[in-house]
Amino acid sequence: MAPDISNYSLLFLIIFVLIPLSLSYRYQLGMNKDIVWSTIRGTAQLFFIGYLLNVLFDLRAIIGVPIMVGAMILIASLHARNKGQGLPYVFPAILIGLLLIEASVLALWLIFDMISFKPSEVIPMSGMVIGNSMVAMGLALERIKSEFKENNGRLLAALSLGASPRQAAQIIIQKTLRASLIPNVDGLKTIGLVQLPGMMTGMILGGIEPVMAIKYQLIISISIFSSVSLSAIFITLVVYRFFFNKQAQLVPIKEGQSQ
Amino acid sequence: MNNEVFVFSGVSTPQLSNIEFKINKGEKVVLFGPSGAGKSSLLFLFNRLKDPTEGRIHYRDKPITDYHVASLRKQVGLVMQSHHLFPGTVYDNLQYGPSLFESWDEGQASELLEMVALPQTILHKNVNQLSGGEKQRISFARTLANRPDVLLLDEPTSALDERTTEEIEDLLKMLGKEKNLTMIMVTHDLSQAKRLGDRGMFMSEGKLLVDQPVEEIFTSPENETLKNFLNR
Ligand SMILES: Nc1ncnc2c1ncn2[C@@H]1O[C@H](COP(=O)(O)OP(=O)(O)OP(=O)(O)O)[C@@H](O)[C@H]1O
Ligand SMILES: [Mg+2]
Repeated sequence: MAPDISNYSLLFLIIFVLIPLSLSYRYQLGMNKDIVWSTIRGTAQLFFIGYLLNVLFDLRAIIGVPIMVGAMILIASLHARNKGQGLPYVFPAILIGLLLIEASVLALWLIFDMISFKPSEVIPMSGMVIGNSMVAMGLALERIKSEFKENNGRLLAALSLGASPRQAAQIIIQKTLRASLIPNVDGLKTIGLVQLPGMMTGMILGGIEPVMAIKYQLIISISIFSSVSLSAIFITLVVYRFFFNKQAQLVPIKEGQSQ
Repeated sequence: MNNEVFVFSGVSTPQLSNIEFKINKGEKVVLFGPSGAGKSSLLFLFNRLKDPTEGRIHYRDKPITDYHVASLRKQVGLVMQSHHLFPGTVYDNLQYGPSLFESWDEGQASELLEMVALPQTILHKNVNQLSGGEKQRISFARTLANRPDVLLLDEPTSALDERTTEEIEDLLKMLGKEKNLTMIMVTHDLSQAKRLGDRGMFMSEGKLLVDQPVEEIFTSPENETLKNFLNR
């Protein structure tokens, strides 16, 4: 059984927070408030989720899973849409993308009997897929906006030669996808060598056999890898259209401060 | 049979106000005026990279909006102020336009390079190995590859030395004469305007102030702002 950590020992984590805090203070990074606030907020969120999961895990799967997965997708969409400020339909695009990806990943897991339909398995696994997809979509959104800005002249040149929006955006789509996928491919290459993935670490500490933990990790790593790729592709292929109008003209994107 | 290629009536955009003119087939129009006058903005209207917020534009015998955008842009070629080449080789750039219409043939490449006075050896070079002047000429050749009927040129020789400028001017004269191309060219070089244009348009602050035969512009400018501009 898992070794318990006393609340008293947890308190000493404050020492770890004091390090960046004193750095920020010493070098006047102006991040003191941010560090303190993020730490408090993060801790509170985790405890809240912990208790919530306790409740959900006791519910019937058919009720608990949709509630929690739905909430995760909603929160992830609300968070990722900030990266797409100035673009229309970003929120529904992300929401639909995450729903599709989560649905297909979950279906594959269940069909091939990798996990069983229990809140305690579906929720943490889905959380990782949704969280990583959210980050990937945010990155792709930021990237595509900056690529469109940077390549304005080339896009005009392509359009003026008779290219359709899809054809003109080809260079940008390529660059955005490559930029979104490279860190993933690299991450997959060194997995387990440089650092043990968080989930595996957690399982081993929780008393699960390493080989068992690796099997779960393999499922989750590969699932994350493909859903992250899909997220970037989906969001890029949906969003590039919003930079053009029906007359194959570039439309100016309103500048919004990224959060 | 109507000879008008472009008719602008009461055309306004955020940058331009109430532009009116007619351009006939084969005419060579030079467009000049101070920086920020709206010259580039005006060129963008001819091939619908932008649409006016007010007024109407006719191309040949129909409203410009009646044409399929891509085929309009193929017929009305634009050479932009900066070269904006695509990443890749010279070849990639030259075949870009024709490939969109599945009309590229391999023989075209050497013909195009010859037109803009570049050596054949350049064809498979990466574009970021080219000089500024070479890039400008590739961008010009890239537009010519579509075999346009109307040519919009935004300072096409600004990055070229005297000798190359002369070669490009010869090419423009040849295209103008032999293919009876209609040309609308922005230039800040007034002697070039005289050499290439038969009609001069002077713009300032988004307005078309003067539209007269080129020789008259220099002998008897009919506008105070233009006079000041010429005497600066
Ligand atoms: N994308 C844009 N959005 C908003 N305003 C613009 C844009 N591009 C140009 N302008 C403005 O429109 C006006 C006309 O610009 P334009 O580029 O047409 O001038 P120009 O006559 O071509 O100048 P130059 O000789 O410097 O090339 C300028 O005041 C410019 O600031
Ligand atoms: Mg200009």
